[in-house]
Amino acid sequence: MSAALVKGFSRAGVEALSRLKGEPDWMLEKRLAAWDIYEQTPAPLGRRGDLGILQRVARFKFDQLAPYTANGVNGNGHAAMPTWEAGVLVQRNSTVVGRDLDPALAARGVILTDMDTAVREHPDLVQQYFMTAVTPQASKYAALHGAFWSGGIFLYLPRGVVIEKPVLARYLLDEANATNFAHTLIVAEPGSQLIYIEETASALPNGATALFNGVAEIFAKANAHVQFNSVQDFGPGVWNLTTKHGIPEKDAYIHWIVADLGADTTVANLGTTLAGSGSNGDIVGVLFGTGTQFIQINTLSNHAALSTSAETYFKGVLDDRARMNFEGLIQVAPGAQQTNSYLSDHTLLLSDNARAEAIPSLEIAANDVRASHGATTGQIDAEQLFYLMCRGIPEDEARRLIVQGFFEPVLEKIPSEELRGRLRRSIVRKMTKEGQPVDDETEWHTVTDQWDVEGAGAEAVEILGGEE
Amino acid sequence: MEIQTPVQTAELVVRNLHAKVEDKEILKGVDLTVRQGEIHALMGRNGSGKSTLANVIMGHPKYEVTEGEILFKGINILELSPDKRARLGLFLAFQYPASVPGVSVANFLRRSLESVREGYDPNASAQPTGQVDNKRKGVSPAEFRKLLQEKMQILRVDRTFINRYINEGFSGGEKKRAEILQMAVLQPQMAVLDETDSGLDIDALKIVADGVNALTGPNLGILIITHYPRILSYIKPDQVHVMDKGRIIKVGGPELALELEQKGYEWLTGTSDENGEAGA
Repeated sequence: MSAALVKGFSRAGVEALSRLKGEPDWMLEKRLAAWDIYEQTPAPLGRRGDLGILQRVARFKFDQLAPYTANGVNGNGHAAMPTWEAGVLVQRNSTVVGRDLDPALAARGVILTDMDTAVREHPDLVQQYFMTAVTPQASKYAALHGAFWSGGIFLYLPRGVVIEKPVLARYLLDEANATNFAHTLIVAEPGSQLIYIEETASALPNGATALFNGVAEIFAKANAHVQFNSVQDFGPGVWNLTTKHGIPEKDAYIHWIVADLGADTTVANLGTTLAGSGSNGDIVGVLFGTGTQFIQINTLSNHAALSTSAETYFKGVLDDRARMNFEGLIQVAPGAQQTNSYLSDHTLLLSDNARAEAIPSLEIAANDVRASHGATTGQIDAEQLFYLMCRGIPEDEARRLIVQGFFEPVLEKIPSEELRGRLRRSIVRKMTKEGQPVDDETEWHTVTDQWDVEGAGAEAVEILGGEE
Repeated sequence: MEIQTPVQTAELVVRNLHAKVEDKEILKGVDLTVRQGEIHALMGRNGSGKSTLANVIMGHPKYEVTEGEILFKGINILELSPDKRARLGLFLAFQYPASVPGVSVANFLRRSLESVREGYDPNASAQPTGQVDNKRKGVSPAEFRKLLQEKMQILRVDRTFINRYINEGFSGGEKKRAEILQMAVLQPQMAVLDETDSGLDIDALKIVADGVNALTGPNLGILIITHYPRILSYIKPDQVHVMDKGRIIKVGGPELALELEQKGYEWLTGTSDENGEAGA
């Protein structure tokens, strides 16, 4: 199968895409409604005098993009599943090219499929949840996603099903002007448990541009536990606009762990609406910008019920001319008593030309609340550097050690050893300037030695190397 | 830098050293020689310039040397970065060691040992610049663990200590013991101990002094900086230097320390005690 739509985004494009997919009318209507909102919503431009990240996105040439490209077999291929996964889905540009699920889980009623198939085979579930945690009104770019979404994963956990191994989704961009509008919809029924890993990567021709505009929605019913890990390691040329939102009900938790390491420009909206009493929604973030990367992070902990708790904890490092704007919001609704909510963002600047802004804020409408926020931005401490150098460690390496140490507390909050190991390797790679003779093997040894990575075995390396 | 031939003995020679921080001159012509195998004490009141000398010997970027030279093994080290000085065999036990959150003592110290063992040769055409190849050959994890355990016993350091972050949350005494532990592991040829005795109770002082004494020998030169003669009853100096206002004003044998203990500094400096506190 080979199909493409005309370049750029339009109402006719929405209709053509829906027709191409053979969608039912209700989905076309949802797409068109989202398109209308996209057209009516001005591009966000940020505040006067800010770092200009949203303005850079607003200037992006969306009309050069292909809203849909088909390559490979849509939805039918089987992906090679690493032994430590319970399920896997792989999407290349617009289309899902492979997926697999442990048959034992399928027998227990777990559903893992691409979203296009879910629209056909599970219309009731999709209609109930699709674009309700992240609505098209959330932002202009969420609306664009609502109109042009393609591929992505539908994951359904029946009541009480605990999936021990992680489920993995990998999203790839490898064609100039391609788009990847993966939609992630996770429904975890009461008492179910899931560890989910989303990896994004790219292999674009030199100088080419592509767009990732992904939306993830998580619905965790009473006592359900969902841990959502995201490792964004796009190469240059990728514009990465994502919106993720989770809704935990009574005593449920949704734990977001996000790492934004690559892409030219990232705007990531990440939030939790704590809808059930006793629910929990932590957000942990690792950010590393180099070159001219721009990163905008918006977090929201929306406390809407009794006795909910959330901790948002971000650490970022910026080098060269990279810029990062972090805006974190804690909202406590009237009546959401006994809320515990914490928010912190710490940024380390490695270059005089890097820029960072952090704007944490609180909107509290209840009176029995413990909430705090804090943000720091600083440079490498000269006394720390001198101390390490006095012990024979060259300056470059001493700086790398300090950066690793800076990230360590946030990495310790990541439950998966594999993921910690991967992030450590990615961080070391980003710290290694061009021209330094560090091959893969050396890099790996350096990390294991210095960071005592345990359990990050050969499989983890293969996952990382598989795309390259 | 001109080519210089390293001399066999690891002798530290400070000649007419002047140094300033911001625009304030702190060292105003310091002369001092410590030979391998010797223990020298540098005494003086707070603010006399002792800690500045220690930092300048290691190359702290905050201080600017305006005149004079420092030779180690016959090499003018003023042009070398602190890591190269360390790889030549110099060591500084800090008065206030920095904490480095997130970096464990074990990981840091093993890297440090590898670097120091790699050494530094000013005449080598290609300098080691953190090339991992050279370093990895040095220290296996097993060898390192054995060495560390042996040294930890001498300094009575708790096992859990090595997995803690460098100096993070350490008590004053733990920091001082950690400094001497590092010295024991790295085995420098010349060590400057900057106020290693300050803030220690008598038991901790004895442990630290025992640790230092266990390291002394014909291969190690030591410069102990203190304003308090007490530690010198545990670690016997061969020579005592008294510093005041950025200069060495008196040099003597071990008896000079005793004399200072009885008389204070006033008879040497001519000003009353504790007036020179500023600018420590």
